Amino acid sequence: MPIADSLANVGLSHYLVLSAILFTFGLLGVLLRRNVIVILMSIELMLNAVNISFVAFSRYSPNGNMDGQAMVFFVMTIAAAEAAVGLALATTIFKKFREVNIRYFEHLKG
Amino acid sequence: MNEKILFAVLLLAPVVGFLFNGFRWKSKNYMIAGSVATGAAGISFLSALLLVSKLFGEGAPKSVSAGFFDWILVGGLQVGASFVIDHISALMVLVVTGVGTLIHLFSVGYMSHDERPSKYFAYLNLFLFNMLLLILGDNLLLMFVGWEGVGLSSYLLIGFWFSDKEKAAAGMKAFVTNRIGDAGFLLGIFTLFFLLGTVNFSEIIAKVAGMSVETGWTGPLTLAGLFLFVGAAGKSAQIPLYVWLPDAMAGPTPVSALIHAATMVTAGVYMIVRLSPMFVLAPNALLIVAIVGAATAVMAATIGLAQFDIKKVLAYSTVSQLGFMFLACGVGAFGAAMFHLITHAFFKALMFLGSGSVIHAMHEEQDIRKMGGLKKYLPITHATFFVGWIAIIGIPPFAGFFSKDEILWFAFSSPLGGFPLWFAGVVGAACTAFYMTRLMALTFWAKPRFDEKHTHPHEAGPSMAIPLIILAVLSAVGGFMGIPHVIGEILPGHPGNWLEHWLEGSIAKPEGFGHGSKVMEWALMGISVSVASLSALTAYNFYVVDPERPAKFVASLPKLHNLIYNKYFVDEIYFAKIINPIVGGSRALWAFVDVNFIDRGTFIVGDFVKGIGSTARTLQNGNLQQYAMYIAIAVAAIFLYLLEAPKRLLEIFGG
Amino acid sequence: MPVLSENLLFFILAGLTIFSGLMVILQTNPIFCALALAMTMISIAGIIASLGAWFVAGVQLIVYAGAVMVLFVMVLMLFDLKDEVRAFSRGLVSGFVKIASVGIIGGVVTAAIWMSAETVFPTTPSGLQVSATQSTKQLADLLFKKYIFSFEAMGALLLIIAIGAVALSRIQGGTHADR
Repeated sequence: MPIADSLANVGLSHYLVLSAILFTFGLLGVLLRRNVIVILMSIELMLNAVNISFVAFSRYSPNGNMDGQAMVFFVMTIAAAEAAVGLALATTIFKKFREVNIRYFEHLKG
Repeated sequence: MNEKILFAVLLLAPVVGFLFNGFRWKSKNYMIAGSVATGAAGISFLSALLLVSKLFGEGAPKSVSAGFFDWILVGGLQVGASFVIDHISALMVLVVTGVGTLIHLFSVGYMSHDERPSKYFAYLNLFLFNMLLLILGDNLLLMFVGWEGVGLSSYLLIGFWFSDKEKAAAGMKAFVTNRIGDAGFLLGIFTLFFLLGTVNFSEIIAKVAGMSVETGWTGPLTLAGLFLFVGAAGKSAQIPLYVWLPDAMAGPTPVSALIHAATMVTAGVYMIVRLSPMFVLAPNALLIVAIVGAATAVMAATIGLAQFDIKKVLAYSTVSQLGFMFLACGVGAFGAAMFHLITHAFFKALMFLGSGSVIHAMHEEQDIRKMGGLKKYLPITHATFFVGWIAIIGIPPFAGFFSKDEILWFAFSSPLGGFPLWFAGVVGAACTAFYMTRLMALTFWAKPRFDEKHTHPHEAGPSMAIPLIILAVLSAVGGFMGIPHVIGEILPGHPGNWLEHWLEGSIAKPEGFGHGSKVMEWALMGISVSVASLSALTAYNFYVVDPERPAKFVASLPKLHNLIYNKYFVDEIYFAKIINPIVGGSRALWAFVDVNFIDRGTFIVGDFVKGIGSTARTLQNGNLQQYAMYIAIAVAAIFLYLLEAPKRLLEIFGG
Repeated sequence: MPVLSENLLFFILAGLTIFSGLMVILQTNPIFCALALAMTMISIAGIIASLGAWFVAGVQLIVYAGAVMVLFVMVLMLFDLKDEVRAFSRGLVSGFVKIASVGIIGGVVTAAIWMSAETVFPTTPSGLQVSATQSTKQLADLLFKKYIFSFEAMGALLLIIAIGAVALSRIQGGTHADR
């Protein structure tokens, strides 16, 4: 696809690529950061990337299917739930070690 | 009401009771536990009544059924969780839920002093549910689930007082013996499925309809029939697997009444009746059934002559009566088998509950040598037990007379029967009359042989009296559902044989069945009644009129008495010939094969895995990000594979 | 030219999203990370809105940029975290492997989307463009009819999560207890 063409016609693939890039950033954050809270933020980033593709698919589906948008709600619910539990875990870790390094989760084993 | 809902209520009411009592198993409040359990059984009975009522009337369907979900769908095997009430299972479901409810009610009084009534009632409800599965399932597999389930509940209830080692062992014995039978049952199911490609009752019956009667010993239907009979013999306590039932009396007495007399042990008979169209095509299998049934009837009855434990006497009586039912099945009189099953459920449940009442009154004393003269202390128990006694020895017009004489008549007249089978039946009936009269005499009539100053037997409350009275009434009139034609003809109004009419078309009959001269039927009836009465009179003379005589009589035949008293040493023989060799063989196998080959082999595998594991465990170090990295690597690899990355790269750079 | 302005809007929002997304993982001070994340959320809401999903965009703003972000910032304030000395985890080899595998994922997916764009993905939205109220109505229809079970399950999940979070944070007796 020529560059100029892709600049002029924004289509589904643009949204999907954006979503993929954002997802990759989120994954990198999860893999590389040490701070638990930042890792949680990165997970939010990944979930949001997925949301973009859901909405885009819904918009570009041939018969105006709204199921993608409905799915976004479920993703959001899961994201909120995950953030709540994750932060609760982070606080307990913080209370014990005065730091929120991911490595302290090793102490959860056993 | 909707049939599906009724079926659900019928099946699930005991489950609810089970869960309710199961979750509060520590509670000692027997009133709550008992009323919930009894209520659950009662609800089951009511819904069973409603369902069965749909079968009556003009143009009523032959069966009502409900399918809940597909259970197993594998290739050709299609099994649904579907239930059916047809003319056979209708009888059975009413007996089980009806008698079951009465026995639940009785238990409320009986278990009032027990430590764990909730657990007891939970098990009782569990049993009821499994029994209903067994009866109502429309295919052999569902029946098998119920079959195993009642085995489990029976095990739990026999060993209910498990702190007593002997009782726990009795439960184990029942379980293991049943397992042998169950293996046979399973083999039978496999054979039928292999042969017909289905396990559904109606489909089996439809498919065997086109087959011809097998004359040889090795036909597939004969094989299947014999396998199934092994299962039936295990559950219904026939030779050679009957040994568990007398020991099963270790459980609480209402359990003996419900499971080991009225319902569960009749499952084998019920199964054979259900598959009667298949069995009539395998006359050789039926011959075995008849011979085993007759042998069991006689053998158990003779053992019953010399037992002193009130429940053991009743237990051997049950084994013997089950033998009668199998005798009926074996000569092709499936209707008579069902008939005797029902009447037996009434009078044997009655007698067991009566014995429970006696045991309760005598403070857990079960030895009839230490009873006697209880007539004046326990009037209701005595009166109801009396009805049961007349019913079982076969005095007209009580229930046992009709059903037992029908069996004897068919044993004689059926093309599959003959004089030897009839004679065995009459001997069994004579012994039955003798030991039952002996039981009555030693327990209720003769002089008290316990310390009347210290023991004051008295009737328990209404919860124990009501079931006794209802069952007594049923034992008295239950026989009228199957009045034989020769008697019906001379009675005013000419009542027909309702049961035979009801089962018409649901059960199969062997060819040439049901012919015989009326004179002969009258004559045989007269013979069996007079033999039973004579036998009963003799017993009365022995134990009431002249209590010294039994001892003298026994002394004149010491060897025979010893043999019978020790139950023909069957347990000992089993131990010596079967169990000990198996245990010894297993021990040898363990010491040699297991240690040297199997263990060594597993150790090699184990060490190998351990080696890998110690390397691989460095991967799993608790570092969450490293775990996430594994996921990322895997995802990347999957993507590369899915998109055929190497090939594309070759295309781009190579071409 | 309306088409051009719509395209321009997309590219602006996409650039903003990518930039702020990058900031989330690159900033060493967690507070800045949080702010960058909020920024990302807002621009994603913009993108969603530009796709015509007005209601979802609103929820995105309220739930993510509002509630979830407040949660994050509050916890950060609670911990009183300073600029991190070591923001990234240790290990040169594992770091390389991580970046490489993530790069492969991102690269392969993007390339795959791009290469198959003409054949598979439509470039024009479906003709059924409806008004905001109409689409919200349709969405409600879906949620409360087709997905009613999942919807209720989500409700139950949230309840469980709420209880779980409370239970977790009570393990050592609240944030003030420092015994």
